Amino acid sequence: MRNAESNSPEITAAETLSALADDEAQELELRRVLRDLDGSPELRARWYRLHVARTALSGETVRPSVDFAGSVRAAIDAEPALEQGSSGNWRRTLGSFAVAASVATVVVLGGQQLAATSSNSDRDLVARVAPLPVGVVNTTGAVPVRASFGTRAVPTLEPADRTAYRELARQRLRRYSQEHAEHASLNTPQGMLPFARVPVIEQ
Amino acid sequence: MLSLAAAFTLAQPQCDALAPSVARLLQAMSSNAQRGNYSGVVTLQRGNDMQIMELSHRVENGQASEELSRLTGQDALVERTDHPTDCMHPGHQLLRSAEIIDGSFCGLASVYRFRVQPGDRIAGRASLRLRVEPKDMYRFGHVLELDQDTALILKSSTFAADQSVLEQFQFASISMAPRQPADAVVEYEATHPHPHESEHLRRGVAWDLAWLPEGFMPTDSVPKESQRKSYTDGLASFSVFLEPLGAAIKPGEGVERQGSTVAYTRGTLLDRRPVLVTVLGEIPTNTARMLADSVRLQ
Repeated sequence: MRNAESNSPEITAAETLSALADDEAQELELRRVLRDLDGSPELRARWYRLHVARTALSGETVRPSVDFAGSVRAAIDAEPALEQGSSGNWRRTLGSFAVAASVATVVVLGGQQLAATSSNSDRDLVARVAPLPVGVVNTTGAVPVRASFGTRAVPTLEPADRTAYRELARQRLRRYSQEHAEHASLNTPQGMLPFARVPVIEQ
Repeated sequence: MLSLAAAFTLAQPQCDALAPSVARLLQAMSSNAQRGNYSGVVTLQRGNDMQIMELSHRVENGQASEELSRLTGQDALVERTDHPTDCMHPGHQLLRSAEIIDGSFCGLASVYRFRVQPGDRIAGRASLRLRVEPKDMYRFGHVLELDQDTALILKSSTFAADQSVLEQFQFASISMAPRQPADAVVEYEATHPHPHESEHLRRGVAWDLAWLPEGFMPTDSVPKESQRKSYTDGLASFSVFLEPLGAAIKPGEGVERQGSTVAYTRGTLLDRRPVLVTVLGEIPTNTARMLADSVRLQ
């Protein structure tokens, strides 16, 4: 359980960020964190690291930023206000990743070489993020997997089964066609024809 | 001689013989494709998609240069130059030999049934029709229309098991003379992966396939760690790619088919390592799935 009366707003905000990742942040906390994000470079950096650490794009670097916080805020503001008195353990259906899914291209598969590290080694954690050969799906179907940082589990996003894997197969077709055609053109009787099957020839 | 032959057949699996006329046709088809001069406009139809391109093949001083220039869609030219005409890759070895290869399996005749029939007129030339039916369900069937003079493939159609046409390629016009390459926006020089040399490849984990459909053999020798391994049975080919992943992946599979080409991708755990296996080639989806099933880490 988190202590809402904590003396250090930084720590609370940081905890809330993690809670956000765990989909446990409460409405008011969430708003406060988003407000604090604007005023605290350190917290912003932490937010950035949290997202970089769980985002891997095929050969690309991801730059989540305060824009992301902005879109989270916008998504929250677009929601009907909560009834007075509904506080306590109300769980948001719109956790950070659900929002991400609704406002941005979803990274379907996060996943980096994140070994369990000591709890305050976020820097190390980010340094070891290597892009995975997985892709992006424009879908709201990505399922966030609960993840936490430091000494706990490796964050991953699960592919929204059929759609994501179908997209992955499409991507791999594009990525590998030319390499396959090199071998097909030397080992099947139609000569260079296999290159006609390559969607886009790359130099 | 007879006794030698008898001992030989005892030591080897029983092979279906290729009819001599078919064997000669396949040999001519393969060697003329590599040694002849020709060029022409080709159409490739896959489902509703039709592409038009120019193919050219010329031989000078024992070196073949060939190119494919796209006339529709992407303005691209792919060329392979200075390929020695006596350089025989496994796919062409299979086409030219009705013999046992490596003592391990029989050639094309054990996996395909061949029939020669009179053919249509294609690109203004008389042809012979070679019907190629698979004997198993692991590969597609083909109908090849071969030029009566040169045995070049003027038209080829690829069939699924239900006899639907997956892909059709044919010359709209052909001349037995090469043409000079035109310029294109994208020009790509195809490499020449030598069958007996390990090329410099992406390395991953050591792996192999526990199962190959009969009649397929590797197109080139690659290290066990190579992330790509390619195979051919002489008429069709496929490549298997293995990507070790840095994090767990929810198990699943995805299929994308374009004409005769399938890309089958599966995320799974092998020896508790998360990997992504992709099988890409001109084979039935079920074959691709079985191949992905048979990937083993070493």
